[in-house]
Amino acid sequence: MAMATAQKRKAKNTIYYIVLWAVALLFFLPVLWIALTALKSNVDILATPPKLIFQPTLDHIKRVLEDPETLPYFFNSVWLSVGSVIVAVGVSFPAAYAFSRWKFPFTDFLMFLLLSTRMIPAAAAIIPMFQMFNAFGLRGRFGMFILYTSFSIPFSVWILKGFIDGVSERFDETAIVSGAGRMHVMFKVILPQVKPGIIAAFIFNLIFVWNEYLFNFVIGNAQTQNIPFGLSVGLLDAGGNVDWGFVAAMSSMYVIVPMVMIFFFQKYLLVGMTFGTVRGDV
Amino acid sequence: MFAGGADAMTTAAVRTSDPERSKWVGVGLLVPVLLFFLVLNVIPTFWLIGLGFYKYTLGRGDPTFIGIDNFTAIIDSPEMWGAFSRTIIYTVVVVGFEVVLGVALGFLFWGSAKMPGRRLALTLLFTPMVMAPVAVGIFWKLIYEPTFGIINAVIEAFGGSPIDFLTNIDYAFGAVVFVDVWMWTPFMIMMTLAALGSVPPAELEAAEVDRLSFWYRARHVILPHAKFILMLGILLRTIDAFKTTDLVWTMTGGGPGNKTEFIGVALYRQAFNSLDLGGSSAVAVVLLIIAIAFTSIYLYVLNWSKRR
Repeated sequence: MAMATAQKRKAKNTIYYIVLWAVALLFFLPVLWIALTALKSNVDILATPPKLIFQPTLDHIKRVLEDPETLPYFFNSVWLSVGSVIVAVGVSFPAAYAFSRWKFPFTDFLMFLLLSTRMIPAAAAIIPMFQMFNAFGLRGRFGMFILYTSFSIPFSVWILKGFIDGVSERFDETAIVSGAGRMHVMFKVILPQVKPGIIAAFIFNLIFVWNEYLFNFVIGNAQTQNIPFGLSVGLLDAGGNVDWGFVAAMSSMYVIVPMVMIFFFQKYLLVGMTFGTVRGDV
Repeated sequence: MFAGGADAMTTAAVRTSDPERSKWVGVGLLVPVLLFFLVLNVIPTFWLIGLGFYKYTLGRGDPTFIGIDNFTAIIDSPEMWGAFSRTIIYTVVVVGFEVVLGVALGFLFWGSAKMPGRRLALTLLFTPMVMAPVAVGIFWKLIYEPTFGIINAVIEAFGGSPIDFLTNIDYAFGAVVFVDVWMWTPFMIMMTLAALGSVPPAELEAAEVDRLSFWYRARHVILPHAKFILMLGILLRTIDAFKTTDLVWTMTGGGPGNKTEFIGVALYRQAFNSLDLGGSSAVAVVLLIIAIAFTSIYLYVLNWSKRR
């Protein structure tokens, strides 16, 4: 009798988990379809009805990897996102510490302004930027680099302040009483305790910069054009004849990066996708 | 970077324990961020506001001051009213679908802690929302493709005739809505899971013991705790849906006609296709005000949730 109920419960759980997996796969299906397209020959891509079973080929992926125009896009995507986010987190950590510990009267207002910069549509922010960058000749590597750095700062400050607020000020006081300087407190006492915040700020800013398109398209130049730029251009040219195999291969390879990140850093997903304002587990 | 100077100041401040000196250490730590903020946020914002009062088309002479004409032009422009109202309708529709679906699926995933391969399943589920909108647009262009796209193959298999969704005046809006819902429902699932996680287990167990009905539990046990994170999720989605630009730009370019020309796209066109920088700045200022209003509401809810 007891065994029967246990078995029943097990069967129920199995069905439940199958349903959950089905839901997850359903959302993933479009991505899977493009990944499959990337592995098809051109004849198979254009086949009607679309083929589910086909002879896979690595031709398109090879073409992407060997394409002299795509490599710089890829390279730009990597150095722009990694470099700017390192600088952004580097300057945001001391600022977040200061906001957390000194409690300046203007803190709330500044935090509000910082957050609101991320709520403005890119198309609106880009108009004065475009003019400024033109006027000061900043439309190149340096310009895009500082632009993405400033793009990553608000979220980094928010997320890090949240984490530092969670560390008791007694740690600071104890260290200072025993003769440590503020720098020591910041980097040796506080930093090790807010590592998750640093990681989350790093990973999610990386994803945001990695995916950014409009600023790069309008303000960037040949030295900064990233993969989203390359995708949009690759889609529009060649007189209406889109090279679907190439585009599918390029975009599937591109989304592997964020996917891998959310696989390994899943516990930071919530804080990452809410600009550091909501913490908790998913 | 700047550690050297600040360090010397800090040591001095601690040694003298002069609160005035110490305050400047704090300000010093803020300087790099404030500098970035001033140069890349504050100055552009004032530039933008200023430009809103000028008639200025790129390549057609110098800007001329015209007062509030650009702003009154927005009120008189049927295109802008159209773009604004389309954006609002779009926002309400997509956020509505995403909230209903996301909350329902979030409840479904609530008991999934011991699910085999949970991490992989959730990665697959959450992938849409971390993809570049440009890549999402391209993916769906291929899926909606009229001759060899998979959706039309299914339609034909059931005896229908193929539809070019993204250029069809009746379907384009719905097709974009569908993609947005696909991309962002996972976000609402995530927020729902977080919201459900914020309900104290003790209260849930008590409700279990009392054998309360699901609806009663949802209304009186779960909602009082879960509503804050849910509201933050809805607000973030609303702000984000209002901003939608890259996605429609890649999929439809705002067309057919102006069926999917949301405010982001309309603004982009006015600024960089018509090169009307004065007029577009005025529109951008309006969006700026909307963004600030949204941010205020968001922080109000956030503080309200923290005070409890």
